[in-house]
Amino acid sequence: MATDRATGPTRPRPGREAGPDRPAPDPARRARRARRARALRPWLLLAPALTVLAVLLLWPLLRVVLLSFQDYGLRQIYTGETHWTGLDNYTTLLTDSALWTTVLPNTVVFAAVCVALTVITGTLVALLLQRLGRTWRIICSTVVMTAWAMPAVTGTYVWIWIFDPLGGIVSGGLDALGLIEPRETNWFTDRWSFYAIATLNVVHHGFPFVAITVFAGLLTIPRELPEAALMDGANAWQRFWKITVPTIRPVFTVVTILSTIWDFKVFAQIYLMPGGSGSNPDIFNLGVWSYHQSFVKNEYGMGSAIAVLLTVLLLAITVVYLRALFKERDDL
Amino acid sequence: MTGRRLGLAAAVTALLVFSLFPVYWMVSSAVDPGANTRGAAVLPSGFTLDHFRYVLDTGDFTTYLANSALVGAGTVLLAGLLSLFAAVAVARFRFRMRTKVLLMILIVQMVPLEALVIPLFLQMSDLGMLNSLLGLTIVYLAFSLPFGIWTLRGFVAAVPQEIEEAAYLDGCGWWRMFRSVLLPLVAPGLVATSIFAFIVAWNEFIFAFTFMQNDSKYTAAVGLHRFFGQYSTDWGAVMAGSTLITVPVLIFFVLVQRRLAGGLAAGAIKG
Repeated sequence: MATDRATGPTRPRPGREAGPDRPAPDPARRARRARRARALRPWLLLAPALTVLAVLLLWPLLRVVLLSFQDYGLRQIYTGETHWTGLDNYTTLLTDSALWTTVLPNTVVFAAVCVALTVITGTLVALLLQRLGRTWRIICSTVVMTAWAMPAVTGTYVWIWIFDPLGGIVSGGLDALGLIEPRETNWFTDRWSFYAIATLNVVHHGFPFVAITVFAGLLTIPRELPEAALMDGANAWQRFWKITVPTIRPVFTVVTILSTIWDFKVFAQIYLMPGGSGSNPDIFNLGVWSYHQSFVKNEYGMGSAIAVLLTVLLLAITVVYLRALFKERDDL
Repeated sequence: MTGRRLGLAAAVTALLVFSLFPVYWMVSSAVDPGANTRGAAVLPSGFTLDHFRYVLDTGDFTTYLANSALVGAGTVLLAGLLSLFAAVAVARFRFRMRTKVLLMILIVQMVPLEALVIPLFLQMSDLGMLNSLLGLTIVYLAFSLPFGIWTLRGFVAAVPQEIEEAAYLDGCGWWRMFRSVLLPLVAPGLVATSIFAFIVAWNEFIFAFTFMQNDSKYTAAVGLHRFFGQYSTDWGAVMAGSTLITVPVLIFFVLVQRRLAGGLAAGAIKG
């Protein structure tokens, strides 16, 4: 790869310390200069990446917080004026019964169910991979990869097509069995069946990461441990809970928390489903609600307040994640 | 013994069917001449490329795919370069605030895109960069940097310090050592990072959907949305478009799967 030749805007200057020296360099000063160059070099290397992150992630994050304290609509976009409203957006948001009865349950319960199913399915698949011979293991892990590789957008379209009320395979099959009347059944209008389909979609897309990571973790368990337990008469269930889980606990911590973070901010999988883009308020989650308030209703301030709420929730989970990570190892 | 084997066979079958079914259903519907009335027929009613022809010719999908490829390539180049520099900095140098920088990079990764889409939309509209593929590329660069830095950091740290020192003894300057010693050794990590960055850019939906207001600038993921009718959908066309989007990603994943698995495990266990 020839990326080293590309001339980025802030490409670090090579050989700084090899610059023209004074005629009779004092060794102490030279050493100091070399030390300073050495101290500077990591920052030169970091500068481009940190600049991008600061401008495109940190500043917008700050701005969304500022916006959440404003009444920001089309008028403010065109005139450029700022209309501070203090905590009004938050008061409205937190006293809105839709938040407590619909949006928050949709976000939290959905994420919890998805994470549980993803981790259980992924772990079972990892244990299965461990029991297979070499050939079948390669076949299975390649096939699992295809589920992972499917982009969220196209995956969602395929699940919509599978559950399509008119031509989809599920309604077609159930119709052939005489179980449903396809023209009277639409799974996308009911909140529970809508989220059941979304769960299937998210779990299908998420379990390969867990399976592959847990499987890699299983490989690190010394062979003697389960063998010794087997000698002592432990059955498979006991061996799993008494040996496998404690030994690779860090792996389970990481996959659980990463899955939680991903499942909390599911957007496209909901937004693209029929009724998901706002026509059915029953199925809003925090992400879609925020987007709808901002870009459909043009209430950017209110949308920002919802987005801040989602971010705070995720931040809390992140703190738990970092705590768990640091408990496992002392230094980074 | 046979009972155990049967159990294994059943489990493997279930896994294969569950994993592959959506891909199979997508591809087989894309080539089915009667896709819309397919119902529960497991096999397609025939074979046709008409749906592909329709989306590519009439549906402008060629433009969308080209836009996606352009944005993806730009993201890969910039992300590879910037994250390699940053990874060398955090893996090879001990400096004050190093841990803080690493943590910050990890934390910004958790920020939900939905929270960023509002301020970035306003920011880009102020800069007049809505509807611009360059604007989209820069946004995707920011999203792929944290993962890139964390992944490459592991690869750089895995190169023994002695090799670098040997290069210095042979009279290399730091830059020369970086180019001729470090870069080739971390190339596999660079490949993994590039593929991740490409997939981020190729799959992303919200930002492309919000920023691009002109048909000719749509990326493939957004362009696909156009094939949805208000009342009825041409499923053959949607599935053909989906297949065109999925296939490149699928190939990438299968190509790097072993390395990906190893890298993830290293990240999860050794950090």
